Amino acid sequence: MNISFPGRSPHVARTYPAAVTADVFRGYEQAGYFDEVFAADGTVRAHYEDVVARLRRLSSTELSRRERLRDDAFRAAGITFTVYGEDQGVERTFPMDLVPRVIPAEEWATIEAGLVQRVTALNRFLDDLYAGERAAVRDGIVPSWLVTSSDGFRREAFGVPVPHGARCLVAGIDLVRDIDGTYRVLEDNLRNPSGISYVLENRAAMTRVLPHIFGSLPVRPVDHYGLSLLSALQHVAPPSAGSNPTVVVLTPGSYNSAYFEHTFLARQMGVELVEGRDLVVEDHVVSMRTTRGLQRVDVIYRRIDDDFLDPVVFRSDSTIGVPGLMAAARAGNVTLSNAVGNGVADDKAVYAFVPALIEYYLGEEAILPNCETYLLWEEDQRAMVTERIDQLVVKPVAESGGYGMLIGPAASDEECAAMCRRIEENPRGYIAQEVVSLSRHPTLVGDHLEGRHVDLRPFVLSGETIEVIPGGLTRVALREGSLVVNSSQGGGSKDTWILQGDEDKDDDVDEDDA
Amino acid sequence: MLSRHAESLFWTGRYVERAGDTARMLDVTYHALLESPHAEAQRTWRELLEVLKLNDAFRAVNDHVSARTVTRFLVIDQTNPGAIVPSIGRARENARSVRELISTELWEAINTFWLELQGRDLEAEIQHQPYEVYRLVKRRCQEIAGSAMETMPHDDGWRFLQLGWMLERAAIVCRLVNVRTRRYTAGDDELDFYAAVELLKSASGLEAFRKSHPGGMTLANVIGFLLLSPTFPRSVLFSVRAAETRLTQLAAGPMSRPQRVLGRLRGDLEYADPVELLAGDLHGFLDRVDEDLRGITDLVGVQFFRNAEEISVLHALGHVG
Repeated sequence: MNISFPGRSPHVARTYPAAVTADVFRGYEQAGYFDEVFAADGTVRAHYEDVVARLRRLSSTELSRRERLRDDAFRAAGITFTVYGEDQGVERTFPMDLVPRVIPAEEWATIEAGLVQRVTALNRFLDDLYAGERAAVRDGIVPSWLVTSSDGFRREAFGVPVPHGARCLVAGIDLVRDIDGTYRVLEDNLRNPSGISYVLENRAAMTRVLPHIFGSLPVRPVDHYGLSLLSALQHVAPPSAGSNPTVVVLTPGSYNSAYFEHTFLARQMGVELVEGRDLVVEDHVVSMRTTRGLQRVDVIYRRIDDDFLDPVVFRSDSTIGVPGLMAAARAGNVTLSNAVGNGVADDKAVYAFVPALIEYYLGEEAILPNCETYLLWEEDQRAMVTERIDQLVVKPVAESGGYGMLIGPAASDEECAAMCRRIEENPRGYIAQEVVSLSRHPTLVGDHLEGRHVDLRPFVLSGETIEVIPGGLTRVALREGSLVVNSSQGGGSKDTWILQGDEDKDDDVDEDDA
Repeated sequence: MLSRHAESLFWTGRYVERAGDTARMLDVTYHALLESPHAEAQRTWRELLEVLKLNDAFRAVNDHVSARTVTRFLVIDQTNPGAIVPSIGRARENARSVRELISTELWEAINTFWLELQGRDLEAEIQHQPYEVYRLVKRRCQEIAGSAMETMPHDDGWRFLQLGWMLERAAIVCRLVNVRTRRYTAGDDELDFYAAVELLKSASGLEAFRKSHPGGMTLANVIGFLLLSPTFPRSVLFSVRAAETRLTQLAAGPMSRPQRVLGRLRGDLEYADPVELLAGDLHGFLDRVDEDLRGITDLVGVQFFRNAEEISVLHALGHVG
């Protein structure tokens, strides 16, 4: 469907007499997808009216000038990530599209409630499994064999305490919107979700590059993330830590793809960024080596995968880990965040059971539904998937970042056949999902806007309360028609604006008064 | 600060100083020997390797001593960790691991120097126009030193950088004097004028020496100047004092072992008399200074970087020299 501009929205035409010689929306098509900005009849959704009107007043040359400004800002700040698989790791900037994504307050309220509910249940499930009575397994909510066969399951985490059961201290829950605009959970990231640094850097760049558009709406701030993260980490400190626990960020080192984010978070929190070799464990107490001797560490926000964390317990060839770390955690002398073994709960097959877990632990129906998922060890479902594989998406259960997945409609017959063979060999290793026709959002392509598919990764902190950061990483598939938005697969991002509701505004007034 | 960060800064300083000193000495040696007889030249090149404590490493990969082999070994040979190009590579690796702690100017000075070295045909240049290579290295090392001085807060990180820098400088100048004065016997103050000029030039000290000793180029004066000048920034005493100041600022609490050894060494130098040294055991004295300086590096490692056990393991593996 072709939306012709200008003048489609009477409100826009009335308020801003058009400068339309080279309208950036010219030829914009919704192509039958749910569009974040335009309703099906082509009118601009109310919460986008200001943004659209102001964008339309920018000429193409002005937009390219702003794009250059943005690129300079990102390059100077060294905001890069590493793409594996080409030229043994190349540093790229993560391209931020200039058109922001806007989410109105009432829509966000539902998302927020859904995320709090989901993360609460996931924390309960993990704590039940590793430090509790394993009630969900006992009561048959999740099959025992499914749990123990998960790549992310860690026997070594049994009995390792996590104060307040905050095992998913930082969770990144990927949401997509289907054809009718319903938000659905695509996957949970409960191990080391990355991307929050882009949320903050995108916002900083947007306010510099397009200040008048940003200023047009009451956007909720995100820059308190560092403080919130630090206080959540301090909250899970072991009781022995006293009132001022020492928190560190543990990184695999400067060659890791997310190293920029690790340095960013350490800076934002004002804590040390350590590598494995900076830490020593003596008598089950973890310390870092400083020039003034050993300094005790109470909480480790670790950005190293379980497997490499402690060569005594996990992979013995790990040179980036800390020998004795797990024993120290088990003794209750240090807290590792996120907790070890969380991978079992973001396993893509266990994902299918999350709505049941919400029901089981909280007695509530899931607010945010899952995507339709097929479990391939069930023979009838496997047969159906094999039959319809060219219409489905197949994902390996333990991978993240979009590696190893098959998108049926875009795959060749050979690729489909090869995937069917892999499924037959290892039905537990994959799941299949209906293709979600991800919502689209106007995105700058050359000198005009085109619809591109987007998703949303909000970040959820389990501190004293469960806090959803009002924003998140909107990832956008920059290639036309592509449904893959992962940064590692050539995606870009958008600044994501959560609008203040009436309630939020009242809160602000209260704070000002206080 | 984290021990790892402190250690990276310490070695960044050492590697940059070493690269600059090596270029300076190569420059002087090369140009002084253009008109010298072959036997004399061979001895001088061998002495240069000795100053840098690289004779064994050199012999392991070369079968004869010549301007070409020594120059190549000291500038570009990747098997020689003390050569200029690998030194700058290591300085860069160390600086990169503390990128968050050093100023952008300092990082860029090191990084662009490294990239510049990568972009040149050094193999050909050291044969045809070595002067330009040495001038480049000296200038860039000065630029790095200047960036560190001018753009970094003079906090603990900067102190570790300076500490490594000054200990390396003291050690090299000490060995330079030790090796280049070996041809003189005890009590001998007969001066080979050209050799003395070379010696002073190798430490960039000729001009400063002339100003402080107008008309007085005796061996005692030259040695006194390079070892004991309180104002010339490349003298051993000056470097040791600078290192001691940094160490005192770094050490909190009671006097630490490296402080004690460094303080004693500074005292020995302050009370040394060049005429007495020449009449007595100059080389024995300089050997002890050299040994003390090496010991201080180990003690600094034990005090700030890692525990003694690890040091001994690294020694056994040959990683600490």
